Amino acid sequence: MLRYTFFRLVQAAFVLLVMTFLLFMLIGMMPGDPVENMLEGNPALTPELARQMRELYGVGVPLPVRYWHWLTAAFQGDFGFSSLYFRPVLEILGPALLQTLKLMVATIMLSIPLSLLLGAIAALRPGGWMDTVISFFAFASISLPNFWLSLILIIVFAVQLGWLPASGTPLAETPSLGLQIYHSILPVTVLTMFFVGPLLRYVRASMIETMSSDYIRTARAKGLSETTVIVKHALRNALIPMVTVLALGFGMLFSGALVVETIFGILGMGKMIFDAIRYVDFNLALIGLLLATIVTLVSNLLADLAYAWLDPRITLK
Amino acid sequence: MSVATPALEVVGAGHVAQPDRPRLLRVSSLSVSFPGAEGRESEVVSELSYEIAQGETLGVVGESGCGKTMTSLAIMGLLPTGAKVSGSIEFDGKDLTAFSSRQWRCHRGRDVAMVFQEPMTAMNPVMKVGQQIAEVLVKHERLSKRAAFGRAVELLASVHIPSPERRAQDYPHQLSGGMRQRAMIAMALACRPKLLVADEPTTALDVTVQAQILDLMLELQETYGTAIQFISHNLAVVSEVAHRIMVMYSGRMVEYAPAEDLFANPLHPYTQGLIRTLPDIAQPMAELYTIPGSVGGKRPSGCRFSNRCPLADARCREAEPALREVMPSHHVACFKVN
Repeated sequence: MLRYTFFRLVQAAFVLLVMTFLLFMLIGMMPGDPVENMLEGNPALTPELARQMRELYGVGVPLPVRYWHWLTAAFQGDFGFSSLYFRPVLEILGPALLQTLKLMVATIMLSIPLSLLLGAIAALRPGGWMDTVISFFAFASISLPNFWLSLILIIVFAVQLGWLPASGTPLAETPSLGLQIYHSILPVTVLTMFFVGPLLRYVRASMIETMSSDYIRTARAKGLSETTVIVKHALRNALIPMVTVLALGFGMLFSGALVVETIFGILGMGKMIFDAIRYVDFNLALIGLLLATIVTLVSNLLADLAYAWLDPRITLK
Repeated sequence: MSVATPALEVVGAGHVAQPDRPRLLRVSSLSVSFPGAEGRESEVVSELSYEIAQGETLGVVGESGCGKTMTSLAIMGLLPTGAKVSGSIEFDGKDLTAFSSRQWRCHRGRDVAMVFQEPMTAMNPVMKVGQQIAEVLVKHERLSKRAAFGRAVELLASVHIPSPERRAQDYPHQLSGGMRQRAMIAMALACRPKLLVADEPTTALDVTVQAQILDLMLELQETYGTAIQFISHNLAVVSEVAHRIMVMYSGRMVEYAPAEDLFANPLHPYTQGLIRTLPDIAQPMAELYTIPGSVGGKRPSGCRFSNRCPLADARCREAEPALREVMPSHHVACFKVN
């Protein structure tokens, strides 16, 4: 197990290295550069000055050379400056990551029990009225676009009813936990709606398959109550395939957060990457996308470890 | 014991019938049907009546799709949702058809237990074998988890599983097929049920392992006095264990007789066909006999076997023959038998 984890971490580090190169090239191929942005906003900037600034930023240097410079600096812990915020990128990254993690953790903690409950209820009687209602909800959750649902919720609960704030970020300098939760209700609701639908469809399918298996019949033949049969025998088996879905869903949620953060004005990773790309902030966009890669790599590793933990038939070597 | 070459041993190999034992199970006019396409119902078990005495073994024989498994699921109260049941099932003086789901849960696992065909899939893959056995004891005998696990180890030893303490801690995939079936039997016998329903318990096993499992079942029957309803499509296997044999075809009973009578004097053409399909060691080169056609598809009018029967005439295609007692305790449903 330890050896396996170590091996996987080495593997992940290699994937990450390849990804830095690919991302560097992709961002480098984007049209425009930071100096161009400055020129647009400031007519007083002379072409001579622009040339000097390009030299200063190293914009003219060939991409592979720039990549080498960036990599050697990165290994020493220097990920460069943000051209948008005029600060080291790590300083900007920290708080943004924290915001997004809060949003994602809240969403996941709501989505998992909710999808398990709804999926299991729907699977009890496939085609029954409960299943119909829950499946309708699931399809609505899958089909409704994030941005649309966000706007509708803002119109109804923030503008018309005035119950909840439209902004995801409290104005206070150091907001209390209660205030933070109060401001997160709408964005977390949107993300949960976005995540629960596909998740509960998987739980339902997995439960229906499990409930028709032989060992469920054996469990019933022992005289166990239906609750025991479902909770003790079915759910754990049905959960095993869910691990993959969750690991993949993590990436999906990360990208879903981008839209929701932009609409609700939350200064998280999504908003940060969005702004960085929009204003050609090379270093910031790179570190943001690298972090998304790390999240995906780590969640996949955790999924494999969870498999071994849930299913005794799987041994990691 | 020879399951591979049974033909020589078949006649009289069964146990002697013991008719004077008290009755344990009485099934009368049991019918099971499912709603089919276009509002038509498909009947999988029709008007079935039989009895099992305490400590007796009844063999139930027939091809796949004859309603053998549905009959046993009816006794367990485990029929799939949507099944319609009529007739009565009386067990130890209680009418099972009137049971509430709570009474069924008390009945299953304690009074009646079941061993299934597929030992590979019949156990929960993510639960320790010992735990799965202990569960029954916790439920029905109100043992603590610890005590129940200890009992489970003893039960594993009683079905001759080597190093039972270690095996109890194993997961099902760590056991061989034969060992899993032994563990299933240990699980079924945990609460000393009065009736064990064994649904093709040896079909999925190697021939040598089959013989061991049959031996084990007979040994445990002797120890605990458990009655067994032994379902198989294999007459040779049934002949090893059964006192009496019921032959089913397409949801109906076609012949019902003490084991030795049935083998010495099979009356129904279907039973005769089944016995002829057994390989004969005296003629090793002979081509094996098969009954033409299959059970599935549309039922013919009149006798359900008429479309495959070598003796069928116009009368057989018009009316369905009733079950008659043609010799003492030998019943058959065929117009061609006098």
